[in-house]
Amino acid sequence: MVSQRDREILRGDLRARGTKLSIAERESLLKSYLPDPTELGQKPSPQSTSERRKTPRKTPVRTFLKSQTYYLTYAITHIIFGIVVRLLQAYHAVIDRIFAIVYHHHRTPELIRKDVKNLKRLPQHLSAILTLRKEDDALAVLMDEIAELAAWSSCSGICQLSIYEKSGVLKSCIPALHQIITTKLASYYGTPSHQPNLQLYAPHHPVHRSAPISKNIDTTTQPETLTILLLSSTDGRETLVDLTKTLADMSQNGKLSPEDITPELVDAEISEITTQPLSMDPTMPDTLLKPEPDLLLVFGPFLKLDGYPPWQLRLTEMYCTGGRSHGIIGDGEAVEYQGYMRGLWHFAGAQMRFGR
Amino acid sequence: MPGSLHMSRLRNWFLASPPAEYAITSLKELLIGALQQGPIPQHVAFVMDGNRRFARSHGIETVEGHNLGFEALARILEVCYKSGVKVVTIYAFSIENFKRSKFEVDALMEMAKVKLSQMAQHGDLLDRYGAKVRVLGRLDMLKPDVLEAVNKAVDMTSRNGDRVLNICFPYTSRDEIASAIRETVEDYSTPIQHGHSTAAASRNPFSESHIAHNIRAQTHGSTTHESHSDSESTSGSSGQDDDASVQHDHLDRVYGSMSSCSSSTTLHLGNQQDPKGGSIATGADSPVYISPETITRQTLNDHMLTKGTPPLDILIRTSGVERLSDFMLWQTHENTEIVFLNVMWPEFDLWHFLPVMLGWQRRISKSRQDPNAEGNFAGEAKPSDEGLDAMLWRQGGKVKDI
Repeated sequence: MVSQRDREILRGDLRARGTKLSIAERESLLKSYLPDPTELGQKPSPQSTSERRKTPRKTPVRTFLKSQTYYLTYAITHIIFGIVVRLLQAYHAVIDRIFAIVYHHHRTPELIRKDVKNLKRLPQHLSAILTLRKEDDALAVLMDEIAELAAWSSCSGICQLSIYEKSGVLKSCIPALHQIITTKLASYYGTPSHQPNLQLYAPHHPVHRSAPISKNIDTTTQPETLTILLLSSTDGRETLVDLTKTLADMSQNGKLSPEDITPELVDAEISEITTQPLSMDPTMPDTLLKPEPDLLLVFGPFLKLDGYPPWQLRLTEMYCTGGRSHGIIGDGEAVEYQGYMRGLWHFAGAQMRFGR
Repeated sequence: MPGSLHMSRLRNWFLASPPAEYAITSLKELLIGALQQGPIPQHVAFVMDGNRRFARSHGIETVEGHNLGFEALARILEVCYKSGVKVVTIYAFSIENFKRSKFEVDALMEMAKVKLSQMAQHGDLLDRYGAKVRVLGRLDMLKPDVLEAVNKAVDMTSRNGDRVLNICFPYTSRDEIASAIRETVEDYSTPIQHGHSTAAASRNPFSESHIAHNIRAQTHGSTTHESHSDSESTSGSSGQDDDASVQHDHLDRVYGSMSSCSSSTTLHLGNQQDPKGGSIATGADSPVYISPETITRQTLNDHMLTKGTPPLDILIRTSGVERLSDFMLWQTHENTEIVFLNVMWPEFDLWHFLPVMLGWQRRISKSRQDPNAEGNFAGEAKPSDEGLDAMLWRQGGKVKDI
């Protein structure tokens, strides 16, 4: 640590644009803070061969004691840290349970609408990272979670939702998922005429829409359309690689000069993939989704993107439901209404309170 | 700062007293030494956010806030390098930041210039202790005098040890990705051969792709896998009966199928249609290119500004803003832990960094004990790129062969 006196000297020097001190003066000031060169050499690998190679050691006992002290401190800090983490986890688990009781949707759209009513802003496009678990019925659980999320977001007035699941298993069962979500929406909204129109698609897949019967009844009373996009890890870096391949191909054929490749071009191409599904209905608006999500909810113990498409995340706010306690075990992995709500409150810059 | 002015002054006086200072320094040393006993992240990135807000809340000038931010950076760099972090990447200046007030931009540039030229003045000291400094970003957007200081500092430190400090100077990640794509495309649209080789290739397309692969391996030579297969092909070019020929043959088939596939669908590439159609007059010396199908994630990785650095382990953003703001989008990919801290950057110190490190160490040691656990990722023992590359190759081959 730099002592107060030296810090003042350096600050004064900086204010004068580095003119106050001469080179030699500055060096002498620094010298006392620099590590010993011999010490530096062995630092990258404290327990490996470099230590042994240095045979004529001056203070073997002191070095030994030092390393033992370090090891002891390491153990002690981790024990203390572990205890603190456990306590925090327990605390948050209790808080979460209380929130889960206080804030429960009861499958009532009105109640959900009431919960988001006071928020200053809502994300236009919500994105969520879900993980496929290892149990046998993992896929069914995942689909149910997606259906719940879809219902909550549609009730709270967010009609653009994208779901990221790493393996991409969801893309192979779009019709089944559509069916499950429709059932779930029915259990929230009741009669089909009140339900929002559901559009479900994945990049390079056609849109799967609700049956057209609901449209014919009355289009004016239900203008809402819920659009859900399914993403997987192949839509991330792989898509950028594919784009590069196509561009290289075009360039080799003289159709494009490399100077034309700008962030704007890449942005246009990448956005198109997630916003425009195959075989677009010409009567539909051009883009279904805002390409960049406003809020990314990570249902996991800590914030990691796990291969989420990188390009779209430029200005996305991120919120991790289990991120408050350095959770290590599966804390916060379940998709719960209170976690979803906390994310929305966080996005709006509001504090969640007990009592709604 | 809570508490009365008098109290805070008293506290500052106490903290500045020699015994207290000594105690704090020893405690920090002890903690850093302790951190070293566990796994250590190889690559840490910081978004130094909150300098302006700190200045505003403390009633000092913005420029002064940036100066304090630089001190915080020096502090945290000391902690990182002492505890064994190999690469530190910092977000110093975004391309978007040029839109700020001219006064502030100029002051920031001036500070960068002063600091970088000071660094260059202490050349011999840096040689002994320093890390390599690399400046990532659109250097062409800098003023000439700043650029000169940048180049000088980068040159001075280029021979230093294995620690690296990446300064993202006028940088945005989208710009980086687009540049990487552009450079890759440029690489791939440079013809590798002219003239008579096309005639030879038209006789035997199998061997043409073979040559293309070899030359790519020679020119790029970045991954060990490629150089490995290169040596195989030169040694065992005559016989199909050595053990390497299986994989080799496989690659060739991939190439063969790829070229035929691409020429049959979209391409009007002369040299690839010649062996099939034969009659298309596209000129005898049309250039030969490397097949774009050989572009992988690794190819793009090698064209990023952060090439050659280990994958990002931890990304820390201060000031409580919870987005990436166009920083390290490509690098913050699979296993990077993103941490948003509710502290202004000038206040950032070991005390805020320590819990992050401890949490990371805890998770890593847990996942090593139980490799099947959720959220498992290898800290230092990264899955090697050659393995990934080879795997991609095999997968691509399967798909194409079907």
